[in-house]
Amino acid sequence: MIEITRLRKQFGRTTVLNDISLQIGRGDRIALIGPNGAGKTTLIRSILGQYVVNGELTIFGKEPRQHREEILDRVGYVPQLPPPIQMSVRELVHFSASISSRSTVEEIGRQAEALGLDIDRNSRKSFQKLSGGMKQKLLIALALAGKPDVLIMDEPAANLDPQARQTFFLRLLQAMTETTMLLSSHRVDEISGLVNRIIEMDHGRVIQDEVIDAAILGETMLHCRVVLTRPHEAADRLFAEWNFSKVNGEPVYEGGFIGTERLRFLTSVSHFANHIKELSIN
Amino acid sequence: MQTLLQVTLADFRESVRAKWFLLYSLIFGGAIVLLFVLGVTESRVLGFTGLSRLLITYIQLCVAILPIMILISTVRSVVGDRESNILEYFLSMPISLASYYWGKIFARFFLIFIPISLALGGAILWGRIKGLGVPWHVGGYYSLMLGILSWCFLGIGMFISANVRKQEWGLGLSILVWLVFLLFIDVILIGLMMQQQIRESVIVTIALLNPVMVFRTGAVLLFDPELTSMGPASYVILDNLGYGGFLAYTLLYPLALGWLFSWLGYLRFRRGDLV
Repeated sequence: MIEITRLRKQFGRTTVLNDISLQIGRGDRIALIGPNGAGKTTLIRSILGQYVVNGELTIFGKEPRQHREEILDRVGYVPQLPPPIQMSVRELVHFSASISSRSTVEEIGRQAEALGLDIDRNSRKSFQKLSGGMKQKLLIALALAGKPDVLIMDEPAANLDPQARQTFFLRLLQAMTETTMLLSSHRVDEISGLVNRIIEMDHGRVIQDEVIDAAILGETMLHCRVVLTRPHEAADRLFAEWNFSKVNGEPVYEGGFIGTERLRFLTSVSHFANHIKELSIN
Repeated sequence: MQTLLQVTLADFRESVRAKWFLLYSLIFGGAIVLLFVLGVTESRVLGFTGLSRLLITYIQLCVAILPIMILISTVRSVVGDRESNILEYFLSMPISLASYYWGKIFARFFLIFIPISLALGGAILWGRIKGLGVPWHVGGYYSLMLGILSWCFLGIGMFISANVRKQEWGLGLSILVWLVFLLFIDVILIGLMMQQQIRESVIVTIALLNPVMVFRTGAVLLFDPELTSMGPASYVILDNLGYGGFLAYTLLYPLALGWLFSWLGYLRFRRGDLV
Protein backbone atom coordinates (compact mmCIF):
# COMPACT_ATOMS: atom_id res chain seq x y z
CA MET A 1 0.00 0.00 0.00
CA ILE A 2 2.87 2.37 0.87
CA GLU A 3 6.25 1.59 -0.72
CA ILE A 4 9.28 3.61 0.36
CA THR A 5 12.69 2.94 -1.17
CA ARG A 6 15.88 4.75 -0.17
CA LEU A 7 14.02 7.88 0.87
CA ARG A 8 16.17 10.90 1.69
CA LYS A 9 15.25 14.39 2.74
CA GLN A 10 17.61 17.23 3.49
CA PHE A 11 16.94 20.72 4.80
CA GLY A 12 20.02 22.68 3.81
CA ARG A 13 22.92 20.58 5.00
CA THR A 14 20.89 18.70 7.59
CA THR A 15 19.77 15.23 6.60
CA VAL A 16 16.40 14.62 8.22
CA LEU A 17 15.50 11.35 6.52
CA ASN A 18 18.41 9.11 5.68
CA ASP A 19 17.96 6.16 3.35
CA ILE A 20 14.57 5.00 4.62
CA SER A 21 13.10 1.89 3.04
CA LEU A 22 9.73 0.58 4.22
CA GLN A 23 6.89 -1.50 2.91
CA ILE A 24 3.56 -0.89 4.55
CA GLY A 25 0.79 -3.26 3.60
CA ARG A 26 -2.99 -3.29 3.92
CA GLY A 27 -4.05 -3.74 7.52
CA ASP A 28 -0.67 -2.77 8.96
CA ARG A 29 -1.16 -0.84 12.17
CA ILE A 30 2.07 0.92 12.86
CA ALA A 31 3.31 2.78 15.91
CA LEU A 32 5.86 5.29 14.67
CA ILE A 33 8.01 6.10 17.65
CA GLY A 34 11.22 7.95 18.36
CA PRO A 35 12.56 11.02 20.14
CA ASN A 36 11.97 14.61 19.02
CA GLY A 37 13.87 15.33 15.81
CA ALA A 38 13.97 11.65 14.83
CA GLY A 39 12.23 12.40 11.52
CA LYS A 40 8.71 11.09 12.28
CA THR A 41 6.85 14.22 11.19
CA THR A 42 9.05 14.61 8.09
CA LEU A 43 8.26 11.02 7.11
CA ILE A 44 4.54 11.62 7.59
CA ARG A 45 4.66 14.83 5.55
CA SER A 46 6.63 13.07 2.81
CA ILE A 47 3.93 10.37 2.63
CA LEU A 48 1.32 13.15 2.38
CA GLY A 49 3.25 14.59 -0.60
CA GLN A 50 4.16 17.80 1.20
CA TYR A 51 7.91 17.53 0.66
CA VAL A 52 10.04 17.11 -2.40
CA VAL A 53 12.15 14.04 -1.58
CA ASN A 54 14.88 11.90 -3.08
CA GLY A 55 14.26 8.19 -3.49
CA GLU A 56 10.99 6.50 -4.26
CA LEU A 57 7.71 6.83 -2.43
CA THR A 58 4.39 5.53 -3.69
CA ILE A 59 0.97 5.13 -2.13
CA PHE A 60 -1.52 2.81 -3.82
CA GLY A 61 1.19 2.49 -6.50
CA LYS A 62 1.20 6.21 -7.28
CA GLU A 63 3.51 9.09 -6.52
CA PRO A 64 1.81 11.34 -3.93
CA ARG A 65 2.81 14.70 -5.45
CA GLN A 66 1.70 13.77 -8.94
CA HIS A 67 -1.62 12.21 -7.91
CA ARG A 68 -2.31 14.12 -4.71
CA GLU A 69 -6.10 14.52 -5.04
CA GLU A 70 -6.66 10.87 -5.92
CA ILE A 71 -4.37 9.66 -3.12
CA LEU A 72 -5.40 12.10 -0.40
CA ASP A 73 -9.06 11.27 -1.01
CA ARG A 74 -8.22 7.84 0.44
CA VAL A 75 -6.02 9.14 3.28
CA GLY A 76 -7.18 10.53 6.62
CA TYR A 77 -4.83 12.77 8.58
CA VAL A 78 -4.96 14.11 12.12
CA PRO A 79 -2.21 16.63 12.93
CA GLN A 80 -0.48 16.88 16.28
CA LEU A 81 -1.48 20.52 16.83
CA PRO A 82 -4.89 21.78 15.68
CA PRO A 83 -4.29 24.56 13.14
CA PRO A 84 -5.67 28.05 14.00
CA ILE A 85 -8.55 27.90 11.51
CA GLN A 86 -10.89 30.90 11.72
CA MET A 87 -13.82 29.17 10.00
CA SER A 88 -16.84 28.19 12.05
CA VAL A 89 -17.34 24.51 12.91
CA ARG A 90 -20.22 24.31 10.44
CA GLU A 91 -18.16 25.84 7.64
CA LEU A 92 -15.23 23.52 8.31
CA VAL A 93 -17.47 20.44 8.35
CA HIS A 94 -19.15 21.46 5.08
CA PHE A 95 -15.81 22.35 3.51
CA SER A 96 -14.28 18.99 4.43
CA ALA A 97 -17.33 17.08 3.19
CA SER A 98 -17.39 19.01 -0.08
CA ILE A 99 -13.68 18.39 -0.77
CA SER A 100 -13.77 14.64 -0.09
CA SER A 101 -15.68 12.28 -2.35
CA ARG A 102 -16.06 9.78 0.53
CA SER A 103 -17.15 11.99 3.40
CA THR A 104 -20.54 13.47 4.21
CA VAL A 105 -21.73 16.06 6.71
CA GLU A 106 -23.94 13.41 8.35
CA GLU A 107 -21.08 10.94 8.75
CA ILE A 108 -18.83 13.65 10.26
CA GLY A 109 -21.66 14.41 12.70
CA ARG A 110 -21.96 10.73 13.64
CA GLN A 111 -18.20 10.34 14.18
CA ALA A 112 -18.06 13.51 16.25
CA GLU A 113 -21.02 12.45 18.35
CA ALA A 114 -19.37 9.12 19.10
CA LEU A 115 -16.35 11.03 20.37
CA GLY A 116 -18.58 13.21 22.56
CA LEU A 117 -18.71 16.33 20.40
CA ASP A 118 -22.10 17.80 19.49
CA ILE A 119 -21.52 19.56 16.18
CA ASP A 120 -24.98 21.15 16.01
CA ARG A 121 -24.47 22.78 19.40
CA ASN A 122 -21.09 24.19 18.39
CA SER A 123 -21.79 24.85 14.71
CA ARG A 124 -21.61 28.65 14.95
CA LYS A 125 -18.46 28.72 17.05
CA SER A 126 -15.18 29.49 15.37
CA PHE A 127 -12.97 26.39 15.23
CA GLN A 128 -10.27 28.50 16.83
CA LYS A 129 -12.47 29.20 19.86
CA LEU A 130 -13.10 25.51 20.67
CA SER A 131 -11.19 23.90 23.52
CA GLY A 132 -8.11 21.82 22.67
CA GLY A 133 -10.00 18.56 23.20
CA MET A 134 -12.97 19.66 21.08
CA LYS A 135 -10.70 20.70 18.23
CA GLN A 136 -8.95 17.35 18.32
CA LYS A 137 -12.27 15.48 18.38
CA LEU A 138 -13.48 17.39 15.34
CA LEU A 139 -10.25 16.77 13.42
CA ILE A 140 -10.47 13.05 14.24
CA ALA A 141 -14.14 12.98 13.17
CA LEU A 142 -13.25 14.70 9.87
CA ALA A 143 -10.49 12.13 9.24
CA LEU A 144 -12.59 9.07 10.15
CA ALA A 145 -15.70 10.20 8.25
CA GLY A 146 -13.96 9.66 4.91
CA LYS A 147 -13.48 5.95 5.77
CA PRO A 148 -9.83 6.22 4.77
CA ASP A 149 -7.77 3.34 3.43
CA VAL A 150 -4.76 4.89 5.15
CA LEU A 151 -5.09 6.76 8.44
CA ILE A 152 -2.13 8.86 9.53
CA MET A 153 -2.15 10.44 12.96
CA ASP A 154 0.47 12.51 14.69
CA GLU A 155 -0.03 12.31 18.47
CA PRO A 156 -3.77 11.92 17.92
CA ALA A 157 -5.01 11.67 21.51
CA ALA A 158 -2.77 14.29 23.08
CA ASN A 159 -5.59 16.75 23.84
CA LEU A 160 -8.34 14.28 24.67
CA ASP A 161 -9.80 13.58 28.09
CA PRO A 162 -9.60 9.92 29.29
CA GLN A 163 -13.17 9.08 28.25
CA ALA A 164 -12.80 10.51 24.77
CA ARG A 165 -9.43 8.81 24.46
CA GLN A 166 -11.04 5.46 25.27
CA THR A 167 -13.84 6.04 22.74
CA PHE A 168 -11.33 7.18 20.16
CA PHE A 169 -9.21 4.07 20.49
CA LEU A 170 -12.36 1.92 20.42
CA ARG A 171 -13.37 3.62 17.15
CA LEU A 172 -9.95 2.90 15.74
CA LEU A 173 -10.21 -0.74 16.77
CA GLN A 174 -13.53 -0.96 14.92
CA ALA A 175 -12.07 0.67 11.82
CA MET A 176 -8.72 -1.05 11.74
CA THR A 177 -9.62 -4.32 10.03
CA GLU A 178 -9.58 -2.61 6.65
CA THR A 179 -7.54 0.50 7.38
CA THR A 180 -3.78 0.85 7.31
CA MET A 181 -2.76 3.02 10.24
CA LEU A 182 0.33 5.00 10.97
CA LEU A 183 0.30 6.43 14.46
CA SER A 184 3.05 8.67 15.67
CA SER A 185 3.05 8.82 19.44
CA HIS A 186 5.21 9.37 22.46
CA ARG A 187 2.86 7.27 24.59
CA VAL A 188 3.42 3.77 23.28
CA ASP A 189 1.37 2.34 26.16
CA GLU A 190 -1.77 4.00 24.77
CA ILE A 191 -1.47 2.61 21.29
CA SER A 192 0.31 -0.67 21.99
CA GLY A 193 -2.99 -2.58 22.04
CA LEU A 194 -3.87 -1.15 18.63
CA VAL A 195 -0.73 -1.76 16.63
CA ASN A 196 0.77 -4.85 15.07
CA ARG A 197 4.06 -3.27 14.05
CA ILE A 198 6.48 -0.83 15.65
CA ILE A 199 8.82 1.38 13.66
CA GLU A 200 11.34 3.27 15.74
CA MET A 201 13.23 6.17 14.23
CA ASP A 202 16.28 8.09 15.38
CA HIS A 203 18.41 10.66 13.57
CA GLY A 204 16.45 10.18 10.36
CA ARG A 205 16.94 6.42 10.20
CA VAL A 206 14.71 3.45 10.99
CA ILE A 207 16.51 1.76 13.87
CA GLN A 208 13.85 -0.82 14.62
CA ASP A 209 11.08 -2.31 12.52
CA GLU A 210 9.37 -5.04 14.47
CA VAL A 211 6.25 -6.92 13.56
CA ILE A 212 4.36 -7.95 16.66
CA ASP A 213 3.29 -11.47 16.05
CA ALA A 214 0.17 -11.98 18.12
CA ALA A 215 0.53 -15.74 17.67
CA ILE A 216 3.74 -15.84 19.70
CA LEU A 217 2.80 -15.59 23.36
CA GLY A 218 -0.35 -13.79 22.22
CA GLU A 219 -2.79 -16.01 24.08
CA THR A 220 -0.38 -17.09 26.81
CA MET A 221 -0.80 -15.87 30.37
CA LEU A 222 2.49 -14.40 31.53
CA HIS A 223 3.48 -14.29 35.20
CA CYS A 224 5.39 -11.30 36.39
CA ARG A 225 7.23 -10.17 39.51
CA VAL A 226 8.46 -6.64 40.06
CA VAL A 227 10.61 -5.48 43.00
CA LEU A 228 11.05 -1.77 43.63
CA THR A 229 13.86 -0.16 45.63
CA ARG A 230 11.37 1.59 47.94
CA PRO A 231 7.59 1.91 48.51
CA HIS A 232 5.85 4.12 45.97
CA GLU A 233 2.19 5.24 46.15
CA ALA A 234 1.78 5.74 42.40
CA ALA A 235 3.27 2.29 41.82
CA ASP A 236 0.73 0.80 44.26
CA ARG A 237 -2.07 2.32 42.20
CA LEU A 238 -0.58 1.20 38.89
CA PHE A 239 -0.10 -2.42 39.96
CA ALA A 240 -3.57 -2.47 41.53
CA GLU A 241 -4.96 -1.47 38.11
CA TRP A 242 -3.15 -4.48 36.63
CA ASN A 243 -4.62 -6.67 39.43
CA PHE A 244 -1.17 -7.39 40.85
CA SER A 245 -0.89 -8.23 44.52
CA LYS A 246 1.56 -6.63 46.93
CA VAL A 247 3.70 -9.23 48.79
CA ASN A 248 3.81 -8.83 52.63
CA GLY A 249 3.41 -5.04 52.43
CA GLU A 250 6.84 -4.77 50.77
CA PRO A 251 7.35 -2.97 47.42
CA VAL A 252 7.13 -6.34 45.71
CA TYR A 253 4.32 -6.95 43.22
CA GLU A 254 3.21 -10.23 41.64
CA GLY A 255 0.57 -10.87 39.03
CA GLY A 256 -0.08 -11.79 35.45
CA PHE A 257 -1.26 -10.49 32.10
CA ILE A 258 -2.03 -11.87 28.66
CA GLY A 259 0.83 -11.99 26.13
CA THR A 260 -0.62 -9.36 23.81
CA GLU A 261 -0.56 -6.86 26.69
CA ARG A 262 3.16 -7.16 27.39
CA LEU A 263 4.19 -4.05 25.51
CA ARG A 264 1.53 -1.97 27.21
CA PHE A 265 2.53 -3.41 30.60
CA LEU A 266 6.24 -2.75 30.10
CA THR A 267 5.58 0.79 28.89
CA SER A 268 3.42 1.58 31.88
CA VAL A 269 5.96 0.26 34.41
CA SER A 270 8.75 2.13 32.59
CA HIS A 271 7.58 5.26 34.50
CA PHE A 272 9.19 3.66 37.56
CA ALA A 273 12.36 2.59 35.76
CA ASN A 274 14.57 4.36 38.31
CA HIS A 275 13.00 2.37 41.16
CA ILE A 276 12.94 -1.09 39.61
CA LYS A 277 15.35 -3.43 41.37
CA GLU A 278 14.14 -6.65 39.81
CA LEU A 279 11.73 -7.55 37.02
CA SER A 280 10.93 -11.00 35.76
CA ILE A 281 8.37 -12.31 33.28
CA ASN A 282 7.78 -16.02 32.77
CA MET B 1 -13.38 23.60 -10.71
CA GLN B 2 -15.62 22.60 -7.80
CA THR B 3 -12.59 22.41 -5.49
CA LEU B 4 -11.35 25.81 -6.68
CA LEU B 5 -14.74 27.31 -5.84
CA GLN B 6 -14.78 25.64 -2.41
CA VAL B 7 -11.26 26.87 -1.59
CA THR B 8 -12.12 30.39 -2.80
CA LEU B 9 -15.24 30.47 -0.63
CA ALA B 10 -13.42 28.99 2.37
CA ASP B 11 -10.56 31.47 2.14
CA PHE B 12 -13.01 34.33 1.62
CA ARG B 13 -14.88 33.34 4.80
CA GLU B 14 -11.61 32.84 6.65
CA SER B 15 -10.16 36.22 5.63
CA VAL B 16 -13.34 38.20 6.12
CA ARG B 17 -12.95 37.56 9.86
CA ALA B 18 -9.34 38.75 9.90
CA LYS B 19 -8.49 42.05 11.54
CA TRP B 20 -6.64 43.33 8.48
CA PHE B 21 -9.84 43.16 6.46
CA LEU B 22 -11.76 45.19 9.03
CA LEU B 23 -9.02 47.82 9.06
CA TYR B 24 -8.80 47.80 5.28
CA SER B 25 -12.58 48.25 4.84
CA LEU B 26 -12.62 51.05 7.41
CA ILE B 27 -9.79 52.89 5.68
CA PHE B 28 -11.15 52.69 2.14
CA GLY B 29 -14.82 53.05 3.07
CA GLY B 30 -14.03 55.75 5.61
CA ALA B 31 -11.92 57.67 3.09
CA ILE B 32 -14.95 58.33 0.86
CA VAL B 33 -17.07 59.40 3.84
CA LEU B 34 -14.26 61.68 5.00
CA LEU B 35 -13.93 63.26 1.55
CA PHE B 36 -17.64 64.08 1.55
CA VAL B 37 -17.51 65.40 5.13
CA LEU B 38 -14.52 67.58 4.29
CA GLY B 39 -16.51 69.08 1.44
CA VAL B 40 -14.15 67.97 -1.31
CA THR B 41 -17.04 68.00 -3.80
CA GLU B 42 -17.57 71.72 -3.10
CA SER B 43 -13.95 72.71 -3.66
CA ARG B 44 -12.22 73.31 -6.96
CA VAL B 45 -8.68 72.36 -7.86
CA LEU B 46 -7.26 72.63 -11.39
CA GLY B 47 -10.82 72.99 -12.67
CA PHE B 48 -12.10 69.76 -11.11
CA THR B 49 -15.22 70.04 -9.00
CA GLY B 50 -18.20 67.97 -7.82
CA LEU B 51 -18.03 64.18 -7.96
CA SER B 52 -15.12 64.29 -10.42
CA ARG B 53 -13.08 66.15 -7.84
CA LEU B 54 -13.97 63.56 -5.21
CA LEU B 55 -13.13 60.66 -7.50
CA ILE B 56 -9.74 62.03 -8.48
CA THR B 57 -8.86 62.63 -4.82
CA TYR B 58 -10.02 59.14 -3.91
CA ILE B 59 -8.09 57.48 -6.73
CA GLN B 60 -4.91 59.34 -5.78
CA LEU B 61 -5.40 58.17 -2.21
CA CYS B 62 -5.90 54.59 -3.42
CA VAL B 63 -2.82 54.66 -5.65
CA ALA B 64 -0.81 55.88 -2.67
CA ILE B 65 -1.94 53.41 0.01
CA LEU B 66 -3.76 50.51 -1.66
CA PRO B 67 -0.60 48.76 -2.99
CA ILE B 68 1.16 48.67 0.36
CA MET B 69 -2.01 47.47 2.12
CA ILE B 70 -2.42 44.69 -0.44
CA LEU B 71 1.25 43.72 -0.25
CA ILE B 72 1.32 43.61 3.56
CA SER B 73 -1.86 41.57 3.83
CA THR B 74 -1.07 39.23 0.93
CA VAL B 75 2.53 38.33 1.73
CA ARG B 76 1.27 36.65 4.90
CA SER B 77 -1.01 34.45 2.83
CA VAL B 78 1.00 31.33 1.90
CA VAL B 79 3.91 31.81 4.31
CA GLY B 80 1.53 32.64 7.19
CA ASP B 81 -0.50 29.48 6.54
CA ARG B 82 2.76 27.55 6.41
CA GLU B 83 4.00 28.90 9.74
CA SER B 84 0.70 28.28 11.52
CA ASN B 85 0.34 24.70 10.17
CA ILE B 86 -2.89 25.61 8.37
CA LEU B 87 -1.20 24.77 5.09
CA GLU B 88 -0.10 21.36 6.39
CA TYR B 89 -3.66 20.52 7.38
CA PHE B 90 -5.47 21.81 4.29
CA LEU B 91 -2.90 20.24 1.96
CA SER B 92 -3.50 16.87 3.60
CA MET B 93 -6.99 17.10 2.06
CA PRO B 94 -7.66 16.14 -1.57
CA ILE B 95 -7.13 19.66 -2.87
CA SER B 96 -5.00 20.26 -5.97
CA LEU B 97 -2.17 22.73 -5.55
CA ALA B 98 -3.63 24.85 -8.35
CA SER B 99 -7.02 25.02 -6.60
CA TYR B 100 -5.40 25.97 -3.32
CA TYR B 101 -3.14 28.68 -4.75
CA TRP B 102 -5.55 30.26 -7.24
CA GLY B 103 -8.45 29.88 -4.81
CA LYS B 104 -6.52 31.98 -2.31
CA ILE B 105 -5.73 34.62 -4.94
CA PHE B 106 -9.32 34.89 -6.17
CA ALA B 107 -10.67 35.09 -2.62
CA ARG B 108 -8.20 37.88 -1.81
CA PHE B 109 -9.08 39.71 -4.99
CA PHE B 110 -12.78 39.79 -4.13
CA LEU B 111 -11.98 40.77 -0.56
CA ILE B 112 -9.86 43.68 -1.70
CA PHE B 113 -12.09 44.80 -4.52
CA ILE B 114 -15.45 44.64 -2.76
CA PRO B 115 -14.84 47.46 -0.21
CA ILE B 116 -13.35 49.86 -2.77
CA SER B 117 -16.02 49.20 -5.38
CA LEU B 118 -18.72 49.59 -2.70
CA ALA B 119 -17.08 52.87 -1.67
CA LEU B 120 -17.04 54.08 -5.30
CA GLY B 121 -20.63 52.93 -5.83
CA GLY B 122 -21.68 54.61 -2.57
CA ALA B 123 -20.02 57.85 -3.65
CA ILE B 124 -21.82 57.82 -6.99
CA LEU B 125 -25.16 57.06 -5.32
CA TRP B 126 -24.66 59.84 -2.79
CA GLY B 127 -23.62 62.18 -5.60
CA ARG B 128 -26.88 61.47 -7.43
CA ILE B 129 -28.90 62.08 -4.26
CA LYS B 130 -27.08 65.38 -3.83
CA GLY B 131 -27.79 66.25 -7.44
CA LEU B 132 -24.16 66.18 -8.55
CA GLY B 133 -23.36 65.22 -12.11
CA VAL B 134 -22.07 61.65 -12.33
CA PRO B 135 -19.02 61.17 -14.60
CA TRP B 136 -19.93 57.59 -15.61
CA HIS B 137 -16.95 57.06 -17.93
CA VAL B 138 -14.59 58.18 -15.15
CA GLY B 139 -16.33 55.96 -12.58
CA GLY B 140 -16.13 52.97 -14.93
CA TYR B 141 -12.48 53.54 -15.80
CA TYR B 142 -11.53 54.05 -12.16
CA SER B 143 -13.35 50.88 -11.08
CA LEU B 144 -11.49 48.94 -13.75
CA MET B 145 -8.23 50.60 -12.80
CA LEU B 146 -8.64 49.85 -9.08
CA GLY B 147 -9.48 46.24 -9.91
CA ILE B 148 -6.34 45.92 -12.02
CA LEU B 149 -4.23 47.76 -9.44
CA SER B 150 -5.45 45.25 -6.85
CA TRP B 151 -4.72 42.32 -9.16
CA CYS B 152 -1.23 43.61 -9.97
CA PHE B 153 -0.13 43.99 -6.35
CA LEU B 154 -1.93 40.84 -5.33
CA GLY B 155 0.20 38.96 -7.87
CA ILE B 156 3.40 40.56 -6.57
CA GLY B 157 2.35 39.82 -2.97
CA MET B 158 1.58 36.15 -3.73
CA PHE B 159 4.89 35.80 -5.54
CA ILE B 160 6.75 37.08 -2.47
CA SER B 161 4.62 34.92 -0.16
CA ALA B 162 5.35 31.76 -2.15
CA ASN B 163 9.09 32.45 -2.14
CA VAL B 164 9.86 33.36 1.48
CA ARG B 165 10.01 30.98 4.45
CA LYS B 166 9.28 33.55 7.19
CA GLN B 167 6.55 36.17 7.44
CA GLU B 168 9.08 38.78 8.59
CA TRP B 169 11.03 38.32 5.38
CA GLY B 170 7.86 38.70 3.37
CA LEU B 171 6.89 41.91 5.14
CA GLY B 172 10.39 43.33 4.74
CA LEU B 173 10.47 42.48 1.05
CA SER B 174 7.02 43.93 0.37
CA ILE B 175 8.01 47.23 2.00
CA LEU B 176 11.23 47.24 -0.03
CA VAL B 177 9.31 46.62 -3.27
CA TRP B 178 6.92 49.41 -2.39
CA LEU B 179 9.78 51.83 -1.63
CA VAL B 180 11.49 51.00 -4.94
CA PHE B 181 8.25 51.73 -6.82
CA LEU B 182 7.83 55.00 -4.92
CA LEU B 183 11.43 56.01 -5.60
CA PHE B 184 10.89 55.73 -9.32
CA ILE B 185 7.81 57.89 -9.69
CA ASP B 186 7.83 61.04 -11.74
CA VAL B 187 9.09 63.48 -9.14
CA ILE B 188 12.21 61.47 -8.40
CA LEU B 189 12.75 60.72 -12.08
CA ILE B 190 12.95 64.46 -12.76
CA GLY B 191 15.79 64.67 -10.24
CA LEU B 192 17.54 61.74 -11.93
CA MET B 193 17.19 63.29 -15.35
CA MET B 194 18.56 66.60 -14.25
CA GLN B 195 21.38 65.41 -12.02
CA GLN B 196 22.70 62.35 -13.82
CA GLN B 197 21.77 63.42 -17.34
CA ILE B 198 20.40 59.96 -17.97
CA ARG B 199 19.01 59.32 -21.44
CA GLU B 200 15.36 60.13 -21.86
CA SER B 201 14.55 56.65 -23.20
CA VAL B 202 15.92 55.02 -20.01
CA ILE B 203 13.86 57.29 -17.78
CA VAL B 204 10.72 56.66 -19.83
CA THR B 205 11.32 52.90 -19.77
CA ILE B 206 11.72 52.95 -15.98
CA ALA B 207 8.53 55.01 -15.66
CA LEU B 208 6.63 52.68 -17.97
CA LEU B 209 7.74 49.60 -16.02
CA ASN B 210 6.77 51.04 -12.66
CA PRO B 211 3.11 50.11 -12.01
CA VAL B 212 2.68 52.85 -9.39
CA MET B 213 3.84 55.43 -11.91
CA VAL B 214 1.57 53.98 -14.57
CA PHE B 215 -1.47 54.12 -12.28
CA ARG B 216 -0.60 57.58 -11.04
CA THR B 217 -0.34 58.94 -14.57
CA GLY B 218 -3.41 57.08 -15.80
CA ALA B 219 -5.49 58.40 -12.90
CA VAL B 220 -4.73 62.01 -13.82
CA LEU B 221 -4.92 61.52 -17.57
CA LEU B 222 -8.72 61.54 -17.68
CA PHE B 223 -8.89 65.01 -16.16
CA ASP B 224 -5.68 66.46 -17.47
CA PRO B 225 -5.26 65.11 -21.03
CA GLU B 226 -2.09 67.17 -21.49
CA LEU B 227 -0.63 65.96 -18.17
CA THR B 228 0.30 69.52 -17.29
CA SER B 229 0.06 68.66 -13.60
CA MET B 230 2.50 65.76 -13.88
CA GLY B 231 6.26 65.52 -14.38
CA PRO B 232 8.21 65.40 -17.64
CA ALA B 233 8.46 61.62 -17.81
CA SER B 234 4.66 61.37 -17.98
CA TYR B 235 4.63 64.04 -20.63
CA VAL B 236 7.13 62.15 -22.78
CA ILE B 237 5.21 58.89 -22.32
CA LEU B 238 1.99 60.59 -23.39
CA ASP B 239 3.75 62.08 -26.37
CA ASN B 240 4.95 58.64 -27.47
CA LEU B 241 1.88 56.53 -26.75
CA GLY B 242 -0.92 59.00 -27.33
CA TYR B 243 -4.00 59.51 -25.14
CA GLY B 244 -5.87 56.30 -26.03
CA GLY B 245 -2.72 54.24 -26.21
CA PHE B 246 -1.59 55.30 -22.77
CA LEU B 247 -5.03 54.71 -21.22
CA ALA B 248 -4.98 51.19 -22.67
CA TYR B 249 -1.42 50.69 -21.43
CA THR B 250 -2.35 51.74 -17.87
CA LEU B 251 -4.84 48.86 -17.82
CA LEU B 252 -3.11 46.16 -19.84
CA TYR B 253 0.44 46.37 -18.47
CA PRO B 254 -0.42 46.05 -14.74
CA LEU B 255 -2.93 43.31 -15.58
CA ALA B 256 -0.18 41.36 -17.38
CA LEU B 257 2.27 42.08 -14.56
CA GLY B 258 -0.22 40.75 -11.98
CA TRP B 259 -0.75 37.54 -13.99
CA LEU B 260 3.00 37.10 -14.53
CA PHE B 261 3.88 37.36 -10.84
CA SER B 262 0.90 35.20 -9.79
CA TRP B 263 2.00 32.55 -12.25
CA LEU B 264 5.67 32.69 -11.17
CA GLY B 265 4.51 32.41 -7.55
CA TYR B 266 2.41 29.38 -8.46
CA LEU B 267 5.33 27.68 -10.21
CA ARG B 268 7.51 28.23 -7.12
CA PHE B 269 4.75 27.01 -4.80
CA ARG B 270 4.17 23.88 -6.88
CA ARG B 271 7.82 22.91 -7.24
CA GLY B 272 9.12 23.34 -3.72
CA ASP B 273 8.36 21.90 -0.29
CA LEU B 274 4.77 22.77 0.54
CA VAL B 275 5.23 23.08 4.29
